[in-house]
Amino acid sequence: MNSNNNDAILDLIAKGRPGSFEMLIEKYGNLVWSIGKKFLYNQSDLEDAVQEVMIAIWKSADKFDPNKAAEITFISMIARRRFIDYLRKITKHKSEDSMDDENNNINLYKESLLNEETDLALVKSAIEELDADGQELLRLSVYEGYSHSEISEILHIPLGTVKTRIRRNLMKLKDTFATNKIQSKVIQFKNG
Amino acid sequence: MDRTQEKLNKLLDLLSMRSCQSLTHIEELELNHLLDEFPEYTPDYFEPITALADASMYAHDEQNLSGMPEALKNKILSNFRPEYTGSSVLQVFKKIFEAPRLAWTMTCLLAIGTSISMIEFRNYETNYRNLSVKKAVLEFSSKDLIQYNWFAQTDDFCDCSGNVIWSDDGQRGFITLAGLPMNDPSENQYQIWIVDPKMHANPVDGGVFNITSIDSPTVIPINPKLPIEKARGFAITLEQSGGVVISEQSLILTAPKERPQSTYDNSSASI
Repeated sequence: MNSNNNDAILDLIAKGRPGSFEMLIEKYGNLVWSIGKKFLYNQSDLEDAVQEVMIAIWKSADKFDPNKAAEITFISMIARRRFIDYLRKITKHKSEDSMDDENNNINLYKESLLNEETDLALVKSAIEELDADGQELLRLSVYEGYSHSEISEILHIPLGTVKTRIRRNLMKLKDTFATNKIQSKVIQFKNG
Repeated sequence: MDRTQEKLNKLLDLLSMRSCQSLTHIEELELNHLLDEFPEYTPDYFEPITALADASMYAHDEQNLSGMPEALKNKILSNFRPEYTGSSVLQVFKKIFEAPRLAWTMTCLLAIGTSISMIEFRNYETNYRNLSVKKAVLEFSSKDLIQYNWFAQTDDFCDCSGNVIWSDDGQRGFITLAGLPMNDPSENQYQIWIVDPKMHANPVDGGVFNITSIDSPTVIPINPKLPIEKARGFAITLEQSGGVVISEQSLILTAPKERPQSTYDNSSASI
C-alpha cells in the first residue's frame, strides 16, 4: 500500500463508501486499542471508549486534510483526546487484570503502518535528536501515559522541573519535526 | 523573565499537560484564561506532535502493539455500520410486503413491535450504563442534532461547564456537566427543562438527576415528559426530590446563554 491508498480510508469514509468502516477497523483498530490500553485499565471502560473513538473518527473523516497531517496523526490525535476525556469521566483504577488482546496478525498491521507513513520516520528521527533525559520524559509522558505528577514521583525530581523539561522537549520535537518535514518536501520536489 | 514570558511558559506547560493527561477543573480554567491572552495558540497546540510520536512508538516497536479483540471488532461493526443496515432492512421488508397475505400480519406485528420499542426506549433512556456510548451514537446518527454550551445564571455556579445535545427527530438528548455541586437526593434534585415556545407555553420537564461526584463530568440523558416539536433552549434548576411540574426556583444554568423569548419573559427568575 502506498501513501495515496493510506489517505483513501478517511476519504472513503467521508464519501460513505461501503466497506470503508471495516477497513478503518482493520487497519487502525489495533493502534486505537493499544493507545487506549495505557489510559484505561478496565476492559469494560476500554471497550466503551474504543467504540466512542471509532465513531468519532468516522464522524470526523470529512475534516481530515492530508496537507495538514498524516492520516495516522489524525487518527491517533482523536484517539488520545477521546481517551483522555474518557479518563476524566471515570475513576482511574490501575488493576493487574489482564486485557483480552488478540495476537493474530498484529505484525501485519504494524508493518503496513510503518511502510505507509513517512511522517512516522520523520518524527522518529526528531525523537532521536532529543537527549537521553528528553527521550525518557517523552517515553513516560506520551508513551506510558503517566501524568506530570507521577513522573515527578518516579524520577524524584520537582514537579516544576518536570513541567519545564517536558514543555521544552515537546517544543524541540515539534520544531525538529517541522524542519524535517520541510526538508523532506524539498527533496521530494527536487526528485520530481 | 518578564511577566508575559512567565504567562506564556505557564500556557505552554498547560498545553503540554493537556496533550498527555486530563487537566483538573482549575487547570482548565487557567488554560482558557491564558488562551484568551494568547489567541495565536490553540488548545491542541502540542496534540499533533504527541499523537504522531505516540503512533511512531507502536509502529516502530512491535512489542508495544496489542490486538483489538475480535469480539469488540464485531460488536463495533454490528453497532455502527450504517451503510449496510439500511439496505438490508429495506430488502427484507420489500420481500415480505411482496406477499399480500402477509401484509396485514406484518402491519400488526409492526404495531406491537412499536409499542414494545416505546417501552424499551424509556428503559433505555433511564438506564445509566454506557451513557457515553449512547451519547456518541446519538451524535453519530442524528442529522438534526443541536448543541449548546451551558451558561451559569448566577456567580455561585460560574465554575460550571458542559453542554447539551438534542435531536428533535429522535426526541432525546444528553447533557454533560462539570462543576455542579453535589446534591442530597433525599432533599433535592436537579431538574432539566426543555424550552419549546412554539408548542408549549411553559418549559417541559426533562427529568431529574443527581450529582454524586464532582471529580469528573457527568453525562445525563434527557427524558422529556411531553413531545417536543423544536427545542430552543434548556435550563437546570434545583427542585424538591422528584421534581416539579412548573418551577418557581431560580435558574442555575441555561443553554444557550440567551433565554428564548415568550418563555422566560414573564419572569426573569423563574420558569
